Amino acid sequence: MTEPNGERRLEGTGVTPAVGVGPVHWLATDLELPEPPDADAVDRSSERERIVAARERALETLERERAAAVERVGESEAEIFDAHAAFLTDPQLEDGIDEAVDDDLPAEHAVQAAFEGPIAQFEAMEGPMAERADDLRDVRDRLVRELLGRETAAIPSGSVLLADRLTPSDTAGLDPDSVAGVATVTGGRTAHAAIIARALGLPAVVGVGEELRALEAGTQVVVDGERGRVIADPDPETRNRAERDRRVEPIAEPVETADGRPIEVAANVGGDDFAAAATQGADGIGLFRTEFLFLDREEPPTEDEQCEAYADALETFPDGRVIVRTIDVGGDKPLPYREGASERNPFLGARGIRVALEELSDLFETQLRAICRAAATEGGGELAVMFPMIATVEELEEAQARLEAAASALAEEGIEYERPTIGVMIETPSAAFIADELAARVDFLSIGTNDLTQYVMAADRENERVADLQDPLHPAVLRAIDRTTSHGSDAWVGVCGELAGDPAVTELLMGLGVDELSTSPIAIPAVKRRVREVEASAARALADRALEAGTRDAVARLLDGE
Amino acid sequence: MIERSLTVVPENGLHARPAARFVSTASQFDSAIEVSAADGDPVDASSMLAVTGLNVRGGERVRLTVDGPDEDAAFEALEEILTTPEEE
Repeated sequence: MTEPNGERRLEGTGVTPAVGVGPVHWLATDLELPEPPDADAVDRSSERERIVAARERALETLERERAAAVERVGESEAEIFDAHAAFLTDPQLEDGIDEAVDDDLPAEHAVQAAFEGPIAQFEAMEGPMAERADDLRDVRDRLVRELLGRETAAIPSGSVLLADRLTPSDTAGLDPDSVAGVATVTGGRTAHAAIIARALGLPAVVGVGEELRALEAGTQVVVDGERGRVIADPDPETRNRAERDRRVEPIAEPVETADGRPIEVAANVGGDDFAAAATQGADGIGLFRTEFLFLDREEPPTEDEQCEAYADALETFPDGRVIVRTIDVGGDKPLPYREGASERNPFLGARGIRVALEELSDLFETQLRAICRAAATEGGGELAVMFPMIATVEELEEAQARLEAAASALAEEGIEYERPTIGVMIETPSAAFIADELAARVDFLSIGTNDLTQYVMAADRENERVADLQDPLHPAVLRAIDRTTSHGSDAWVGVCGELAGDPAVTELLMGLGVDELSTSPIAIPAVKRRVREVEASAARALADRALEAGTRDAVARLLDGE
Repeated sequence: MIERSLTVVPENGLHARPAARFVSTASQFDSAIEVSAADGDPVDASSMLAVTGLNVRGGERVRLTVDGPDEDAAFEALEEILTTPEEE
């Protein structure tokens, strides 16, 4: 759509809370092969030699890219390179290429021909197998490029890379210091490429659709990975704002608003990479998702193992706070060693604290013991425990009783421990309604805006048909947040959903009375910077107006400053 | 010859990293190694294409057939890959 100021705005799915500006560079994906020579002109043995040499070089390149990806993104994302190496040396594919050469095809055509069948086969299969077809294309193109002596075209420094789709190895090979941003025609938030872009902190918008193709090479574009927008021919004001948002230096120290109200900005962490959170300037960990300790294994983790993980986190933040959320399975997070009956509505079924108090009570007890022990870590910060999916005071009191029992047992056994501070996650509408009752019994409340939105709006997070309802800026969700912050006790209130990582909403959340924001590490620098700009009094006025707004659009207009 | 059924533990099944590890390990032995899913035909365990094509997910069973001079060592190595959960 062309705006009055000449801008063309395209909407897609933002995957990184970062903004980039630069000229368009299209990723060359079509490898055009030269016309094959006459069959008589093909020397089979020299074609075979070419293929062997190309394979060697491709393997070397893979190894180099793998090492670079491990360094930038981590070991977990490097697995794709191992898979590609295995495809590259696959005996079936080798035979297929060989046979094609026997038919007097030159090397590059032989490679093309040998991959055709398997790609079609994988494409015809369902689910993750379609992605394997992408892997095969990727591997085929590597070989063909080597044969044609073509380097992966260098991406001009500072440009915005556009592509139909990005393969994981394309993405992992990008240098975030030289690419300004990425936008693709297809793809979703959970695609591998999107996950890698996020890990690299690369501004990225995926799934823009066919309109993206209209953007010619060299066109200036802004890629706004926060709002999911690609803006071509930005006017000077849009451009300046984007330049300003471009790279935000992490702020190591705690921040306060322009008029002196301190706001804690912490990290959501779902693995053991606490140092990465600290590097982005996190004051602590506002949401330690402990599920990763429990998933992907046959036996639950031991008390010692858990205690060590929590203590590690604490030691990373000697002056901060680490909030450990107790095991939150059910819903979309099944456990391999849990028999779990299948439920018709898992999100409305046994999940979070409901499971922890009943069928997983042994696991829960072990976890609470580990938390109490870790809380006594020398030189660590404050350890807090947070209970997920609380809907009633009874559940909270039961969870607190279990914590007390774990602490007493440790005392009796003569094991060193400390009582953690206690918080409740506000994810259910019921918890928001009784926030006053809950707050009176704990040290803090933390609002999980993703689930709270899903439950307040009765809109499945996973269902794209109701994606419009899945917006935390609907007045009903804002009022649920307001209800929570207006609890009337001493407990502080945080937000640990995705909303906390959106600097465009920071002022509103401050105004609603939120004291802490916990978000993915990459979003922390921009949020901290935004906190410093906000005036607490203006924020309050903004929140008052937002709470009077009757529609999602009215809230959005307020945030746009209209 | 060793022939045995196993439950695949890695959550992603025989895809991505576990598949790559499985295939590259199978290629290192002299024994003839084949793997099959549920009721399917056995395929060459040293082919990434064939192994991935089985489309085996975590929790599903596969039949492993190892035949040759180093079958014990080969079976043991492959069994470990199939029954070890993926690290994060």
